[in-house]
Amino acid sequence: MKSLLVLLLSLISLSTFSQSANKKNAGTAPSHKYILKVVNFDQLQTILKKNDNKLYVVNFWATWCKPCVAELPGFMAVSKSYRFNPQFKMILVSMDNSIEIDSRVKPFLVKNNIQADVYILDDNKRMNEWIPAVDKNWSGSIPATVIYRNGKKLAFKENEITRKQLVQLIRNYL
Amino acid sequence: MKRTGFIVSALVLLMFLMPALGQQMKKTSEHKGYKIGDVATDFRLKNVDNKMVSLSDFKSANGFIVVFTCNHCPFAKAYQDRVIALNEKYASKGYPVIAINPNDPKLEPIDSFEGMQQRAKEKGFKFPYLFDDGQKIYPQYGASHTPHVFVLNKENGKNIVRYMGAIDDNYANPKDVSHKYVEAAVDELLAGKPVAQATTVAIGCSIVTAKD
Repeated sequence: MKSLLVLLLSLISLSTFSQSANKKNAGTAPSHKYILKVVNFDQLQTILKKNDNKLYVVNFWATWCKPCVAELPGFMAVSKSYRFNPQFKMILVSMDNSIEIDSRVKPFLVKNNIQADVYILDDNKRMNEWIPAVDKNWSGSIPATVIYRNGKKLAFKENEITRKQLVQLIRNYL
Repeated sequence: MKRTGFIVSALVLLMFLMPALGQQMKKTSEHKGYKIGDVATDFRLKNVDNKMVSLSDFKSANGFIVVFTCNHCPFAKAYQDRVIALNEKYASKGYPVIAINPNDPKLEPIDSFEGMQQRAKEKGFKFPYLFDDGQKIYPQYGASHTPHVFVLNKENGKNIVRYMGAIDDNYANPKDVSHKYVEAAVDELLAGKPVAQATTVAIGCSIVTAKD
């Protein structure tokens, strides 16, 4: 039984290794060094609501959303200033269509040097459930920013916020 | 002495009033726009054919499907064929579509009046596509993004808000829709029933407006 488990584990690690090796050998295409993954809302919840004492600054955005794209440089600057703080984590949740992950989202992240984990939320049939689950006052317009710690929502802001406003918001909790 | 007394009492009065005022402001900012059952305002907005259009022009209408939409937003664009279908299905039953572009074209040139005319022509809109020039109407409705639908029902001569929200539950794939929210609402109104799901939310493009 134990050996079976070891075999299974090694198979899994081998397959992930070969996947990353494949990616490395994929040619000269520039890469997004952070996580870029398609998730549903339940998966997203487990990512954002961890009991690890970290402050999760979560931004809902899309490549096609002008005010979102306009506020991203501010978010990146703030994220950079906290990069040595182990209690800080910035996550971008993209509303882009998941079929455009390679054709649109990845090139955007590379071009704009987006240094954060990006999850494409592919759960559009349940929008009417997960939008109010994120915040009951959220109309659904993006950008929107949420702050969590230990699974608890500390703040929610609909619409664009400046770098200064974001720093002020974070300082309330860090 | 008398004057100091006056100032003190004015200050005391202010101290009592301030929190109440603050609360009042908070309340209005939390509840922007209409609630179900409110009377929707009429308007006089320019259509793509350069004629002015008001809800009151539609004498025989039993209500309206008011859709805040635009030219630039991928979600709004994804829904435009479905908006055309809504008008085809319900205009003859007394619930025509009225589309309104709420965006400021100074900030989003694709949403200019000329851009609207072009889109209406390309898609063959058979319903008004109106320009909320000066952005006076969308804040009254409380539209926050495109597409954002308000189903109105004419009751005692007034246009009452009976549904607010999304068109259906799948912007990306019309073939994989499980809930046609607007159709369900209008069907219920046609049957003289209350609208069971009167509000929904969906992701959309923020209405483009200059910051204060």
